[in-house]
Amino acid sequence: MSEYATQSRTSLLGWLKRKAGIDTARERYAYGTDPVFGYISESRIADTWTKTTCGYCSVGCGMLVGTRKGKPVATRGNPGHPVNRGKLCPKGLSEHHILGAPGRATTPMLRTGGRGTPLVPVSWEQALGAMVERIGGLQTRYGKQTLGVIGTGQLVTEEFYTLGKLVQLGFGTNNYDGNTTLCMASAVSGYKLSFGSDGPPGAYADLESADVVLLIGANIADNHPILCDRLRKNPKQKLIVADPRVTKTVMMADIHLPLQPRTDIALLNGIAHILLRDGLVKREYIDAHVEGFEEFCEFVASFTPESVSRTTGLGVDLIEQVAHLYGTAKAAFIGWTMGVNHSTQGSVTVAAINNLSLLTGNIGHAGAAPFSITGQCNAMGTRESGFTSSMPGYRKFDSADDRRELAALWNVDEERLPRARGLAYPDIIEAAVTGRVKALWFIATNPAVSFPNYKLLAQALTTAEFVVVQDGFYPTPTSEFADLVLPAAIWGEKEGTYTNSERRISKVNAFAAPPGEARPDFDIFLDLAKRLGVKNEIFLGWTSTHDAWLEWQRVSAGRLCDYSSFTWQQLEEEGGAQWGGERLYADGEFPTETGRAKLHCVPWLPFQEQPNREYDLVLNTGRTVEHWHTRTKTGAVPILNAMVPNAWLEMNPADAEQRSLRQHDRVTIASRRSEVVNVELRITGIVAPGQVFMPFHFAEQNSNLVTLGGYDPISREPNFKQCAVRVERTAGHR
Amino acid sequence: MALLLHERAMETGSEELVRLTLLEGGAAPRLVDALIPKRPLEPGEQYRFHFDMTKCIGCRSCEVACNEQNGNPTDIKWRRLGELEGGTYPQTHRSYLSMGCNHCLSADCLHGCPVDAYTKDPVTGIVLHSAEACIGCQYCVWNCPYSVPQFNPERGVVGKCDMCQGRLLDGLEPACVNACPENAIQIEIVNKEEWRKNYAAAESPGMPPAGQTISTTRITLPHDPSSWLERVDTGSIQPEHAHPSLIVMTTAMQAVFGTLAVLWLSDALDTISLTLLFALTAVALNISVFHLGRPAYAWRALKMWRRSWLSREVLCFGLLFGATAMCVAASWAASLGIHPAAAFVGPLATAAVLFGLCGTVASACIYFVRARPAWNTVHTPIDFLLSAGLIGNAMAAAMQTPGAALAGLAARHGLPIHIAHLKSHALPQAILAAAWCANQGIRAFRLWRSENFESRASFNLLRSENMSWKFIISIFCAVVSIITFAGGVPSLAVFASLATVLFGRYLFFVTVVPLSMALTFLKGKSAHGRAA
Repeated sequence: MSEYATQSRTSLLGWLKRKAGIDTARERYAYGTDPVFGYISESRIADTWTKTTCGYCSVGCGMLVGTRKGKPVATRGNPGHPVNRGKLCPKGLSEHHILGAPGRATTPMLRTGGRGTPLVPVSWEQALGAMVERIGGLQTRYGKQTLGVIGTGQLVTEEFYTLGKLVQLGFGTNNYDGNTTLCMASAVSGYKLSFGSDGPPGAYADLESADVVLLIGANIADNHPILCDRLRKNPKQKLIVADPRVTKTVMMADIHLPLQPRTDIALLNGIAHILLRDGLVKREYIDAHVEGFEEFCEFVASFTPESVSRTTGLGVDLIEQVAHLYGTAKAAFIGWTMGVNHSTQGSVTVAAINNLSLLTGNIGHAGAAPFSITGQCNAMGTRESGFTSSMPGYRKFDSADDRRELAALWNVDEERLPRARGLAYPDIIEAAVTGRVKALWFIATNPAVSFPNYKLLAQALTTAEFVVVQDGFYPTPTSEFADLVLPAAIWGEKEGTYTNSERRISKVNAFAAPPGEARPDFDIFLDLAKRLGVKNEIFLGWTSTHDAWLEWQRVSAGRLCDYSSFTWQQLEEEGGAQWGGERLYADGEFPTETGRAKLHCVPWLPFQEQPNREYDLVLNTGRTVEHWHTRTKTGAVPILNAMVPNAWLEMNPADAEQRSLRQHDRVTIASRRSEVVNVELRITGIVAPGQVFMPFHFAEQNSNLVTLGGYDPISREPNFKQCAVRVERTAGHR
Repeated sequence: MALLLHERAMETGSEELVRLTLLEGGAAPRLVDALIPKRPLEPGEQYRFHFDMTKCIGCRSCEVACNEQNGNPTDIKWRRLGELEGGTYPQTHRSYLSMGCNHCLSADCLHGCPVDAYTKDPVTGIVLHSAEACIGCQYCVWNCPYSVPQFNPERGVVGKCDMCQGRLLDGLEPACVNACPENAIQIEIVNKEEWRKNYAAAESPGMPPAGQTISTTRITLPHDPSSWLERVDTGSIQPEHAHPSLIVMTTAMQAVFGTLAVLWLSDALDTISLTLLFALTAVALNISVFHLGRPAYAWRALKMWRRSWLSREVLCFGLLFGATAMCVAASWAASLGIHPAAAFVGPLATAAVLFGLCGTVASACIYFVRARPAWNTVHTPIDFLLSAGLIGNAMAAAMQTPGAALAGLAARHGLPIHIAHLKSHALPQAILAAAWCANQGIRAFRLWRSENFESRASFNLLRSENMSWKFIISIFCAVVSIITFAGGVPSLAVFASLATVLFGRYLFFVTVVPLSMALTFLKGKSAHGRAA
């Protein structure tokens, strides 16, 4: 019920006036003039505007949030921010609504009576005391590694940096990973394979200046809409989109490559084959900066256009045309997102993309880059400053020099730094099932919706002896499993920095107070460090995220991701700055042992779970513009949730006819693992015959009940796309 | 009225007024479009929206920006997005429509409004709606072929897109124009006379024909002529609001008129029956105001009697009420011995019958709404008149019993009241019931065979699981009314004929499928604000 309605109910006279129509809520619907943004609903006029960065996706749009008497009332794109130039997507435009949304976590909750009893509100003292005691007890009995920690891409970089030190040095476990493994790990691994380090080499400006833009498995119109405008700046530019589904992004394309699912490696190798055959490679660049060329030439010889055509389902002419466009472009850009990463072959697919850039020298100059478009607002921040798949500052666990250097910076004994990466996210979950990990701590993530193969996850969460869920919202599907819930501040209540897909560090500011007893994640980390007795050792004198920022600057100085030359103030005023400059590798020097980038011979393999007679359709999953991840936030924004209140399944008309299904039928999607029931059917030519698509945002119709528990051997990223399913009408629904 | 926008444009050479968002970031200047006009309007011109379908990526920023601009609740969207699809995989085409108000040259919302809440701004051509003048009758909601005006139950009034006139006056682009990341929405100038002659650029897949109201929105369509775009929102058409107060009011007023007419034709009007009909009229008219979002201002509905059928209905039924009241007074006066009053009873009754006829016809004319094809047929007035006859014939007969009883009671207290005796026959009841059923049947058949989608969709609703049994019941009740009438129990025939009409009227309201712009596949919450 609206605030207004509540007020008018308070008096009978007010109610009568409303019912008679004498009172038409004039004040609530009045207009006024905002001094900055002009004529607008009175309810949206702010007294203060705070510059900040959007907390949803990795595009990293600069925004202004208006508050009135401390209450957020409006969001505007920051016209001076170089990323979005004043524009925002619908999630950004309504982002101020999440701070006052119902469902925020306001008090710590503990299952004081043990499993099977309800979570009850407790004090922070009790909550953190119990956390340190329970985890400590389990660690004493089973070893330090019995704690598994799953972070996120949602915190500010300063918090990631703090959390990494706390987990690795304070709790002493390296079984620490982020939910970024669910989205970006393969890009990280692929970059490391080819260039020796993580770090997207290009910039958004390249989307404007490139002659050819090839998007592979990237539906940016739904997922990164603010990038789309960049594609229309250069009238001579050719946009090629490779996607098995006719996405919104495909509709912008000059050429659509409707390839068979997971045949992108064959396509990429096939393009390389044509480039080599027709002399469209840049020999001088290869000779100077690339290794593995001869071996590679031999390898792709078998990827003839004819064989690639058979694999991908694309015509030979189309493959030739695309290869020639790419090979003759002055500057060619390849962008990708989850179509590539969400795969058991994600890392090597990224390497295959990098191969094309290296062959043609399309890296390090304007318009030319192999560019991973990241997922979360600060996935990059955790890749650089976190302590998960590498040590802070892209330092390698297995490099003695890196370990020595970091230990010296931190003034700790080198032996305390782990020599190898601990378990990755999916392996922590499997270790919880087998009992190797007995305590789990989830920070700002909701695996009960986002992790593949839900049944295994549920098993892990119930087998683990102590589960902590730290989140801005309560309840969430994951907090159902928690023994302890820690209420955290969210975007808008914390200060720090985010780093976006193009390595741009932008300032994030607070403009509202956390609700109830919720605390910023940073404060929770410091409090835990104090309880563990390591505060003075690892966070000496720290009181705010700015202290973490200053130390992180020292730690990153001289590294590829060098944050040392920027101040918070400068980042806020200038709309952020890119570490490494506009582009990486302009000089052709790569951070490998030889200084050369590597070509990789990437074999094409069919995807793991092929359809058969029983499970005859291939399920693809993806996103929609109105929602963010598991909807803990966008589900609480009324306008977004009203636009898309439920999941749907897209099916080709031919498949629907075969199954006698009708538009809007309620269907069940069954895989070998489980089934999702009661999903609204959309019969559409958007998807190919034999394939179906559903969005993954919905706990109510959770696609991860059916997705595959298959992981990339290098990055450990799950294969969310492509699993074999059967679709039938849900019993009792028509 | 000179717009500040124009003044500033004249003073500054216009460049500052143009939102050069595309210029930033090193764009080629020739790609730059002005998002709002650079020059003032000349006589005969107005502002309009231009929507470029080739640019829209369906991101829905415009919808959110509009709601933020106007502080509207979630389920009221003055700008809405529609999805269009066509072709066969992989040659599938997808496009989007984003529409606010089309600020039509011949706006049906405005023509129908009984209180003159709408104005077409003489300078800008913007179709403006006044929440102060509005009484929440929602007739505009029915009239607009694009379903643009939406009723806000919290306010009791309708609201709609005003092209952010308040922003335009300050030289700022409307909220949707400002928010669109692709610059797919612009404000431009159109010459009204030229546009009236050729408005082909307003036509688009997913939009009702522009000619009905002469929509001014110019739509740039994708180049590919082979693409065959269709709307995707037609698979789950929801029943419309039942408007219970209108069901009761129309049925009751038709009962009053029908009974009056039958008694008048049979020369059987007497004090008791007039009194009873007067009471029924009073109840019906009181119930009718609860259809309004602002019942306290019901009287304003008379204002536009020269133009609006709704005003005319209110006027005629108001006069019917007045005539009946005076007729009742005259009749009682005569009974109480004031003999000259008797001379007025006949003419006043005649007037009441005439007002009833006019009111019933006006009432039917309200539903001649081009935007609601299932209503916009000759079957609507036929239904209303036959309903009046069906209930009226039964009620006239049924009134004999209570009339005689009351007269007897009055006589025992020394008050001789004249009682007219009606000779009632079952045949007229049978003919009326059969005609009523035939009308409904033929209407359903014609909806089924109609060329337009909305009529066929109405038929599909009518035959749906939830509706078809109600249709059968209404026919069944019509038959029962004949049997009970013939069996000498006219009071049961009254109930049966009332049930017939109430069920029929319910179906009339809920199964109408309005014209509308294409919306999205997922319905989400209703795009229309609703109230009784």
